Amino acid sequence: MEQLIASLADGLLLGFVYGLAAMGLTLIFGVMDVINLAHGPIIALGMFAMFFISGATGMGLNPYLALVIIAILGLLFGVCIYFIAVHRVLNAPHLSSLLSTFSVNMMIIGVGTAILTTTPRNLVFSIGSISLGPVTLLGTRLVAALIAILVAALLYLFLYRTQPGKAIRAVSNNRAAAELMGIPSTQTLALSFGIGTMLASIAGGLIATFFSFTILAGGVYELKSFVIVVLGGLGNPTGALLGGLILGGLEGIAPVFMPVSWVPVIEFVLFVVILMVRPTGLMGGGR
Amino acid sequence: MTTNGAVLEVKNVSSGYGEVQILWDVSLNLERGKLTSLVGANGVGKTTLMRTVVGLLKPSKGQVNFNGSDITRISAHAKASQGLVLVPEGRQLFTDMTVFENLEMGAFTGRAKENYKQNLERVFEMFPRLKERRDQKSGTMSGGEQQMLAVARGLMAQPEVLMIDELSLGLAPFLVLDLFEILRRLKDEGLTMLLVEQNVQMALAVSDYAYVLNEGQVELEGPSREVAKNEDVRKAYLGI
Repeated sequence: MEQLIASLADGLLLGFVYGLAAMGLTLIFGVMDVINLAHGPIIALGMFAMFFISGATGMGLNPYLALVIIAILGLLFGVCIYFIAVHRVLNAPHLSSLLSTFSVNMMIIGVGTAILTTTPRNLVFSIGSISLGPVTLLGTRLVAALIAILVAALLYLFLYRTQPGKAIRAVSNNRAAAELMGIPSTQTLALSFGIGTMLASIAGGLIATFFSFTILAGGVYELKSFVIVVLGGLGNPTGALLGGLILGGLEGIAPVFMPVSWVPVIEFVLFVVILMVRPTGLMGGGR
Repeated sequence: MTTNGAVLEVKNVSSGYGEVQILWDVSLNLERGKLTSLVGANGVGKTTLMRTVVGLLKPSKGQVNFNGSDITRISAHAKASQGLVLVPEGRQLFTDMTVFENLEMGAFTGRAKENYKQNLERVFEMFPRLKERRDQKSGTMSGGEQQMLAVARGLMAQPEVLMIDELSLGLAPFLVLDLFEILRRLKDEGLTMLLVEQNVQMALAVSDYAYVLNEGQVELEGPSREVAKNEDVRKAYLGI
């Protein structure tokens, strides 16, 4: 029982970070109907950015300060990807944007493998741990979860309380009407894509503070993001956080009862069941 | 800047969707401070003309001038920020956003922000229902309330020219009367407007000048009173 609680707590902490990554994916889909298949490599780039900015062989900056830089880089990178690979296929059939973002995925992985190799890296970083009764929480994971919650809250405030955030929701809701009201929809879409990749890269940076990684590591988290996004409802950022918690909790508990290698099986069975039973997601879905 | 001249000139515009040409060499002028109506049967290109003027469609030929400068090729949002505002057919509200947020988005451009407070008071005074429902999601309101919001959102944009596509379509008669009353008031305040209406009788009664569009071409134009007296128009559109 104690082990169960400890595993669950640990899983839930990870769940917040998974949820943050998934929010990036679901935001982009919700706003422009594009499924960003470069999501995984962008998470991996977040990890490497953390490695180079904070690692012992890098600049050695405090990881949590490094996140600010990673966020800015992630935003700018996303805006570039939007103008290079997304904008021109926005009104084309879905297959075009899938292929286009998949090409970005392959380019990042190709160039990344050539330059960074696939040797696992890790950040040697620890801020101790906290014990609450039977539960011991690793400091890095606790802080990562808190940062994920903070970023999610900031995203919510941005979308619902600021002018550019509301413009994103307006463009997402009715692009032509937004243009008619004087909202520059192209810039707004580019900003949304940038924010989506920013969330993914922050999540990558956070994961790098406690797991080892290669340039290929993003794939796993991309798949998790897909499961989470379907759980929470495609296009629904709040649902993504909830989906993240469910997936994280599941990942925490499952190994107590069965070999770890079964975890992905359970995740994808859940994925398929949700798609069959409630394709709009647990929260009803954004559309 | 011309006073009393044409604010908006549409010169020999041809337009359509891809291979399908809808408009053939259409010309139209909006006089400053006047309410102009554009009437015609369904499918003759009224909405296409609106979409072309406002920049959602690119004309294959012709030119659109606004305050004397050529705005044919600039994007829709840039036209809106110059004061050329369309209330589109089918309302096209931000249905997932509240009434208040829709109004805020109406006031997105710089020229609209300057007058945000006055405009907000003005539209709430014109449409008290919107004030009551300011925190309701706009998509959950009735058709009439949505049309009020569409007009109010357009007014929030501080238009120099307000174009309204199908003001009365699908609305109950008493609401239609209310909305036409608002139009009359806006006209008295000196706003330049272009009204597309399938209710030809009411459109001709409220407007100063009218264009009749048929098969993508201007069939007839003139002061609304005279157009209303025209035998062909009476037969074709007024059922008299």
